[in-house]
Parts: sequence; structure tokens; C-alpha cells
Amino acid sequence: MRKFTKPTWFAIGWLGLMMFFSLFGWLLPFKPWNFVFEDDLEVGLFSSGHLLGTDSNGYDLLSSAVAGTRMSIFIAIAAVGLGGFIGSVLGILAAYLRGKIDTVMVTVFNVGLSVPNLVLALALVSVLATNVDINQAVPTWRRVMVLIISLTIVLIPILGRIARGATLSWSGREFVTAARSMGMKDSKIILRHIVPNVLPALIAVAFLAVGVVIIAEASLSILGVGIPDGASWGGMIARGRNDLEYAPHVLYVPIVFLALTVISTNHLGDVVRSKLDSREAKV
Amino acid sequence: MSRISFWLQRIAQLLIVLLLVTFGVSLLLRLVPVDLATILLPASSEGEREILRAELGFDKGPIGYYLQWLGNFVQGDFGKIYFSGGTEEVSDHLKQAMPRSLLLMVYTQILSLVIAVPLGVLSAYRAGRRADKIISNSLFALSSVPNFAIALLLVIFVGVKFAWLPTLGYVPIAEGYWEHLKHMIMPVISLSLGLIATYTRLLRADMIAALREDYVTMAASKGLSDRRILWRHVLRPSSMTLLTSAALSMGALIGGAIVIESIFATYGIGFEVFAAIGGRQYIALQSTVAVIALFYVFFNLVVDVGSGFVDPRTRDRRVNA
Repeated sequence: MRKFTKPTWFAIGWLGLMMFFSLFGWLLPFKPWNFVFEDDLEVGLFSSGHLLGTDSNGYDLLSSAVAGTRMSIFIAIAAVGLGGFIGSVLGILAAYLRGKIDTVMVTVFNVGLSVPNLVLALALVSVLATNVDINQAVPTWRRVMVLIISLTIVLIPILGRIARGATLSWSGREFVTAARSMGMKDSKIILRHIVPNVLPALIAVAFLAVGVVIIAEASLSILGVGIPDGASWGGMIARGRNDLEYAPHVLYVPIVFLALTVISTNHLGDVVRSKLDSREAKV
Repeated sequence: MSRISFWLQRIAQLLIVLLLVTFGVSLLLRLVPVDLATILLPASSEGEREILRAELGFDKGPIGYYLQWLGNFVQGDFGKIYFSGGTEEVSDHLKQAMPRSLLLMVYTQILSLVIAVPLGVLSAYRAGRRADKIISNSLFALSSVPNFAIALLLVIFVGVKFAWLPTLGYVPIAEGYWEHLKHMIMPVISLSLGLIATYTRLLRADMIAALREDYVTMAASKGLSDRRILWRHVLRPSSMTLLTSAALSMGALIGGAIVIESIFATYGIGFEVFAAIGGRQYIALQSTVAVIALFYVFFNLVVDVGSGFVDPRTRDRRVNA
């Protein structure tokens, strides 16, 4: 394997750290994230006791950011996993089978793509998170589920179209024709010959999609329909916006976490894609 | 395939997409687990709600309701927004929001293209050298920063710390062009940075490919200057992907700029969607989303027409069918 460049190592390291935080952050000796430190309101960055300071409510920002990792990363991975799986199955089948199924799938994808991501997500969240009794608040776990489902639905056409495009370029290759002429079953051809070839392209896009979902979740939280009470990075930004004038560092912390994560996923997506291009070039 | 039937087919495809989008939204509304009439008229009597149900077609089943909405929408009746004091026309809201969104979109596109095209040309010309690396890497980092983060940082620094620009609101052009621009600068910058990165990247890749073509070698051996080759001979055939992406992002900017519009209180179409959702104005939501999809489909058509102008070879070829 070729040696990675420094930015790639950084991206791997940062994402590794984020994964670690999201899985084991609760085991680490951080201060409780949803505890109000009444004596330390609006403490600045790098002060003793609160490394990244506190906000005007007295919440410790480092602990909040680490706890927010769990929500942001979990939602992103769940949505990309689900959306990627469903999207690829639909896209690969459409491109492999062609004909009417393909026409229908392409139309469905186009319908999904003709509404801006955020508008679609917003509409889905608002409908799915409506309680029968409209005055009753929606519990957080249900909000999380709704967010994941909505973002999954948003991702399906995006990833499905890419899977379809990649499959189209492979299903016409000689080895597929050869396999078919030898009487190999379609299901087996797809699993043996199509999926392994399409997978790298999908992995590259999946990295980018993780970034997209993290940003979408944050956007929804900023608009007040995502994760409430500062339990995700977006939620922290939503809460910090109120003190923007007096305590901007409350915003810097989640923004830096978010931006570094998205830069890392985008960069790794790029690395995977360029490996792919060079592999193609050798063929 | 003849040109006319190609266009007819293309338009038919887009119309089908439009119908399906609006029908999908309309179905989605039926999924709301509460009575829509109760949400729209929370304080009214059951009799009044009954009238509203009949008026909006809630009593007709999903398809009947959709057809009634569609009939009204096509005739320009986008429905009403209901609140305790009475009703407002959705079309009035859209009339107010549309110019804001359109101007925001146009400014964003102009700024993005004006910056991205020279950067793309330069980084393709110096591909692999230092200038290219600096441009590509810094744009890459910028494009990964979400636009709301840029918006908030601009508000903190430009708006609050130095107080150079107003942070909230929208001023129509009629009330002074400079005031208008002052309110638009920060939202436009927030929306542009990501686009600049995307555009530069697309243009760079296509230009690098075009620079390897024989006609470039030919032009160079004829003694044309690098500048002339780049701007006259390479830019145009390389700009297809860029223009496609630009046209598609126009559709996305109409309505997709929700967070930016709400941070800067620009109140364009995206904000109307948000407001409709927040106020549970489901009819307004349905009509507004339909308008957004209409724009998207329109710009898709523009891509098809435009690509024929930029690259005549594609005129008769089926584009992304």
C-alpha cells in the first residue's frame, strides 16, 4: 500500500478520534456535558477547569462537543449506511436490469433530486415528527429516529444515481457478457462481478455523504427541528447563536469540530477516488 | 431522433417529475397523524372546520385532494396561510420572497463564477505547480466548511466585532441600491464560497483534459500566446460541466438557502418553507415546495438548451436521459 500523505494521516486520525469519542466518550473522565456549572458562566477558551470554556448557561463546551460527537456521528453513519445500502441496491438493479425498472427508478431518483436536500429533509422531519397530540413534545429518541429516516430518504436518490451510473459502465464489460453467456445467474453476476467493481466508487461517495449528512443534521438543528438541547454539534450551534455577540467562542467549538470532521471525510473520499482513478488508468 | 421529438420527450419527462413531486408532497401531508383542518383552524368550531375540509378537498381522498390542489395551483391559486386573525394568500408571500431568493441566487452565481473561472483557468494552466496547489488545497478546505459556519463567523467578525455590515434583514433595491447590497454581501459570500470551490474544481479538471488535445499543441505551434489559447480555445469547450453544475445549483439555491436566509433574516423562498413548517401551514408548504421544484425543473431545461449553445455537438444527442 502506498504511503499516505500528512493530510490523509490527519484525516484518519481525526476521524478515528471522533469515532473513539462517539463510542467511548462517555467512559472518559470528562465533566458531565449537561451539567450546569453555575460558578463558571461564559468562561473563555483554554481556562483552567474548562479547557474549551463554558457557555452562558454554564455548560462545559469540551464535554458538550465530545458528547455531541456521539449524536452527530451516529446519525451520519446510520443514515449513510441505510441510504447507501438501499440506494445502491436500487441503483445497481436498475442499471443491470435496464428496461422499465430502470425508467421507473430514474424517474424516482429525479423526483427526489428535484427538491433541495434540506427542503426535503425539513418536510419529512416535520411530517414524521408530528405527534397525534400536537401540544406534546416529541421525545429525543424519536427525533433521532425521524432524522435518520429523513436523511436516509434524502440520500437514496443521490447515492442510487451514482450506483446506477457506476453499474452502467461495468455491466457492459466483456467479463459480464462472458459470465452471462456461460449461464451464470443474474444474482450471482451482480454479487460476483458488479458489486466488487462498483463498491470502491460507492465507498468514496459514502465518505462525502457522511459530511453532507453531518452538515444537514446541523442545519436542521440550527433551524430548531433537529436535535434539541445542544446534544449534537448542530444543537450546540443553535444554542450558541443566542450569545453570539458576547461569547462567540461558544460557536467556535462546535464549528471547528464540525468543519474538521467534514474536511476529513471529504479528503478521505477524495483519496479513495483518486486511488480508484489510478487503478482504472492501469487497466 | 429528430430535434422536436427530443425536446417534447424531455419536457414530458420533466413534467412527469413535477407531477410526481407535487403528488408526493401531497401524499406526505396525508401522513400527518392529525386532522389538518384542526391544525389550520385550532380555535374554530367544528362547523367551520367542516367547511374548510370541503373547501380544500381534505374529505376527498388523496387523489381527489391532489387534483383539486393541482387545479388551483395551475390557475395561480396557491392556497392560504391560516392564523388566528384570518388568512393570507400564499401567493402574496411568494411574491415578496421570490425576488429576494432570485437576487440572492443571481448575486451568488455572479460572484462565484467571476472568482471561480479565473482561478480554474489559472490552476489548470499551472497544474501541479505551487499556484495550483495553493488554490486547490485552500478551496478544498473552504468547501468543506458548511455555509452556516461561514455565515456565523461573518456575523461575529464583520457584523458584530467591526460592525461594517448590517447582520439582519433585507432592503429592496427601490430603497437604495447601496443599502440593498450591504444587506446582501454576507449572505452571498456565505453561499458563494462552497460554489467557488466546486466550480473551480470542475473547470480545472475539464481544462486539464482539454489542454492535452491535439488542437492545443497545434495552436501553440502556430505561435498563439498561452493567454489566447487558454481563454479563446480551451475555456469554451471545457465549460460544459461547469455550466451544467451552475445551472443546477441555481435550482438548489432557490429554496435551498434556508439556513442562510434564516441567519440573515433575508426571508426568501427557503424561509417560506421553514415558516410554513414551523407554523404548520401545510397548504403553504405544498405550494411552496411545488414552486421550488418548478424552478429546479426549469433550470434543468436551461441546462439542456444551454449545452446545445456551448457545445453544438450535444444538440442532437440525448443529454442525461
